[in-house]
Amino acid sequence: MSEIRTLIVDDSTVMRKIVERSLRQAGLDPLIVYEAGSGTEGLEMPSMDGLEFLRQLRAQNLAPGVPVVMITTESSEEHVKQAILAGAQGYIRKPFTAEQVKERVLPLINAA
Amino acid sequence: MLLNGVRNAAIATKRGSGEKEQERAMGVSLRESLQLVSDPANLDASAEEVFKMMLGIDCHRDSEPMVIEPESVTAVVGFGGLLSGACLFKSGSSTAIKIAAAMTGMEFEEVDDTVKDGIGEICNMLAGAWKGKVPDLAANCGLSIPAVITGRDYNLHVQAPEFKLVHSYTFDGGSFEVTIICDGLQ
Repeated sequence: MSEIRTLIVDDSTVMRKIVERSLRQAGLDPLIVYEAGSGTEGLEMPSMDGLEFLRQLRAQNLAPGVPVVMITTESSEEHVKQAILAGAQGYIRKPFTAEQVKERVLPLINAA
Repeated sequence: MLLNGVRNAAIATKRGSGEKEQERAMGVSLRESLQLVSDPANLDASAEEVFKMMLGIDCHRDSEPMVIEPESVTAVVGFGGLLSGACLFKSGSSTAIKIAAAMTGMEFEEVDDTVKDGIGEICNMLAGAWKGKVPDLAANCGLSIPAVITGRDYNLHVQAPEFKLVHSYTFDGGSFEVTIICDGLQ
């Protein structure tokens, strides 16, 4: 499982730490990235929100076949729909537990 | 001035989130559900949920005001859309440091950028959890990016809000205060 790399993209140091800890508890080896635009070669658009980052990632085909899980405070059906349309395979609402991260991420990795 | 800034940012965020949502928002009135929106139990449930899930800490509503420290940290997240206003999180500096340490597993000696980031995230999650308790708000109310204020001897004043909830909470190691200010309902 540790050979699988997961990428965390967030402009918040604290959120990166929390997600990193959750992924490590799930047996994964996360690669931490400072903010949107600095984690994917060819995508040089700093300071965009997660949804825009995902749209650009998919539009430029920079990570074909790589599942993406969005973590966000917004929880309405409309926001979930927007994330799915942008190319997310999973959605986690803040606040969340490490167990919820594991439950959302591991099935996607196993299916990829 | 700061509150106007975060409020406007929340409204801008809401405007950018899709025309369909805007159309839905126009067909919904929160005035009819004011009692539900201002229910104090929603704020208590939100605070307990955020602290339990993100910090693994039990916090409880306290009838006493939060412990005053010489320096404090305040985070503000604005609401825009069907409800305009703000969610504020305030604690003393030592409590803010303990919260950030519990969130990250790191140690802090002062309120640095990571501590401010953590308190901003807590406020963001409180605002999101609170609005998520009311379905119309969850779908039709946007949040601004958190703004964080640190220092001593400052007050925040909002003129004649529609309603205001100010709750104090304690946990093993500190106390904090959460304020919901609603200054406009559609």
